[in-house]
Amino acid sequence: MVKVLMVIPDRCTGCGRCEEACSLYHFNVIDPLLSAIHVVRIENEPVDAPVFCIQCGLCGIPGICPENAIYRDPNTFSVIIDRDRCTGCGNCVAVCPYGMITIDRIERKAIKCDLCGGDPQCVKACPEKALVYAEAEDVAYYKRVFFAKLQRKELVPIVPYPSPKPAGDG
Amino acid sequence: MEEWYGYTGNILRVDLERGKIVVEELNRTWSKLYIGGLGFASKVMWDEELPKLHPLSKESLLIATAGPMTGTLAPGSGNIFWAFKSPQTGFWGETRSGGKFGAFMKYSGFDMIIIRGRSERPVYLYLEGCKAEIRDATHLWGMTVHEATNAIKEEAGAKEVSVAAIGPAGENLVRYASIINDYDRAAGRSGGGAVMGSKHLKAIAASGGCGIKVYDPERFLSLCYEAQRAITSDSGNKAMGMHGTIGGVMSLNAMGGLPTQNFRTGYFENAYRVSSDTLERNYMIKRRACHSCVIGCSRYSYVSSGKYATPPNEGPEYETVDMAGPMVLNDNMEAIIRFNYLANNYGMDTITLGHTISWAIEAYKLGMINENDTGGLKLSWNDADMLLTLVDMIAYRRGFGDLLAEGSYAASKKIGRGTEELVNHVKGLELPAHDPRVESKFLAIQYAIGPRGACHEHPIYPSYDLMGVDAGMREVGLPWPLPDRLEEVGVNRGKAYRIIALFGEVINSMGYCNFYAATVAKGSLNPSRIARLYSSLTGIEMNAREIFEVAERTWNIKRAFNLREGLEKAHDSLPKRMVTPVLSGPSKGLKVERPNELVEETYEAFGWDKETGYIKESTLQRLSLREVLEGLKRIGKVV
Repeated sequence: MVKVLMVIPDRCTGCGRCEEACSLYHFNVIDPLLSAIHVVRIENEPVDAPVFCIQCGLCGIPGICPENAIYRDPNTFSVIIDRDRCTGCGNCVAVCPYGMITIDRIERKAIKCDLCGGDPQCVKACPEKALVYAEAEDVAYYKRVFFAKLQRKELVPIVPYPSPKPAGDG
Repeated sequence: MEEWYGYTGNILRVDLERGKIVVEELNRTWSKLYIGGLGFASKVMWDEELPKLHPLSKESLLIATAGPMTGTLAPGSGNIFWAFKSPQTGFWGETRSGGKFGAFMKYSGFDMIIIRGRSERPVYLYLEGCKAEIRDATHLWGMTVHEATNAIKEEAGAKEVSVAAIGPAGENLVRYASIINDYDRAAGRSGGGAVMGSKHLKAIAASGGCGIKVYDPERFLSLCYEAQRAITSDSGNKAMGMHGTIGGVMSLNAMGGLPTQNFRTGYFENAYRVSSDTLERNYMIKRRACHSCVIGCSRYSYVSSGKYATPPNEGPEYETVDMAGPMVLNDNMEAIIRFNYLANNYGMDTITLGHTISWAIEAYKLGMINENDTGGLKLSWNDADMLLTLVDMIAYRRGFGDLLAEGSYAASKKIGRGTEELVNHVKGLELPAHDPRVESKFLAIQYAIGPRGACHEHPIYPSYDLMGVDAGMREVGLPWPLPDRLEEVGVNRGKAYRIIALFGEVINSMGYCNFYAATVAKGSLNPSRIARLYSSLTGIEMNAREIFEVAERTWNIKRAFNLREGLEKAHDSLPKRMVTPVLSGPSKGLKVERPNELVEETYEAFGWDKETGYIKESTLQRLSLREVLEGLKRIGKVV
């Protein structure tokens, strides 16, 4: 079965090693600005969060990339941007709901997670095992727990869905 | 032009007097001679700092420096080092901090920043994409560290920015003001913040944009992963990550080594109330790590309500807990968290701060200081409110705080009346919360001869006999097994300390954190592992022995710097309390015997003269430090 990259949020200490490994693996340079994974650390709030592409494929929808340079890798199921064809127009950056695509400052081309071809370096570099690359079915379970937990308290907006009318009414 | 790997290859020179900025290429021979970090800084300070300059004068230098490993995937490498002449001691000043500022300074394109001159109006330095710019900071002057950091981040906009700033304490030239980066990470000791304040430099902000090239990416990546696996699976490192430095409170107390009541004793009966257990259970939100760290010892804590309510911030660390806890007999954890937050936000060294207050209380209780001195303030042990009031008064130099802002050493000189006897300092720097009478005689040696004064971390935490580990130093000649921790002279302590201190120099030059050298060889950044990582990163071949030779060079330059500033053998001596027995607790009666002989034994091991403490000519020749030799000859301080 396909594997999926996932995060266990409370484990992250914000060290940023995933960013370093990502840029080193892809560009032979250590530079968080060239990384496809980003650790958002807000020092004066308890936020240390690795954020990365969930491979939703929205950027790959026909009509977005003028060069048709975005495709889904059949092996890893990751959505890949062919940098040879990329012109850096930024359309994919605009549609990504999570801000996970950036244009690099050197070649002016899009950077996006490709799961390192099935051997994600960020997972290897994480000392806390906050990042895992696990079977899709297992991850699906944890995703359900994650979204369920988001519904605790008021973190998710209350949807004004009409309450069902009592049976036999009207 | 030849490429630089690991190093960015750029040195930034800033003259605040003229508002000038120059980017220089790093001298290629320096990498093999001094490695980087504090190694580079020692070279620059020796060459460029004018002798006998007042540390807060405008000609004095302030150096921010990162090692070649800083900002890379090498575990524990996210450090920034600062070097300057210490306003507290008048000798060599150095200090280290974690966080991510060091890494971001390198991502911005600089290995080292050399700052001189004094700006007329407050300014801050902004670094991005191998360029730097001096920006106005008039609106930031007077702000706390957190406020200034927030403001600078807002000005930078949609960018990741790391900020190192001073708070009101630095602006008001509190002698032990620190430089705080990334909100709460402190380059605390020796008074770097005061030097920065004297230059009217409020902050340095780094936003990256350059990146660090790697010589052999594949090999470096696999070496980093291998080191990471070894270090994270070591039980000592696991414990450090799980409980942080504050984990030491209970164990040190059990052996009578928890400095209490201005070092009168080493046992605090309410230690549990200020232990890691108490912190974790009630106040800790999460663990945090500095950049690229695989241990993650930092605590992130807060106090939700009550009179000591404190917003989330990093800490407290063991040192702060002891200085604001047992040292002043305070057992209120909430007050300690608040103390830590205030000290960081005002930008003050928590060790000297707590220690100075502890000294003042003892002097007050003994009648050497009275209410005329304190402006009516009554000082007493176990008074958390008074403690926090004093923190405010010191940062803003109000009333009695103005005197305490000088540190206990300078304050006692002003006051006299026997208070000098109560100061626990070496060269003017107060002792940190590790007691050499109880823990290890290596500590006694380091406190006595350490270039920046009494310090447990510079160059390294030396209690290897207490820990019973060697961190891989046996391969470079550490005598093993080490003598019993309480044995003093005649057991090769000097020889062993030489290797230990040089290892510290290696770590400070490479850009590592000392906590990566505190376990068994396998789980440490041992010398050969450091050499392998360095070679694959930079493409410069060096083995463990060669790296230690560099360390000996930088160590001797620092010594020479201090000699030039007027250091004599008498400065290398322990305070009176260290040769006085511990009053009570499990370590009752312990003291450092014959400290002079300990020091002399170490002098000999380093190739220094036993009678004067001067460096021998043969030692300097062996290390090819010709300029240093000539400089010392001119002032007649070479044997």
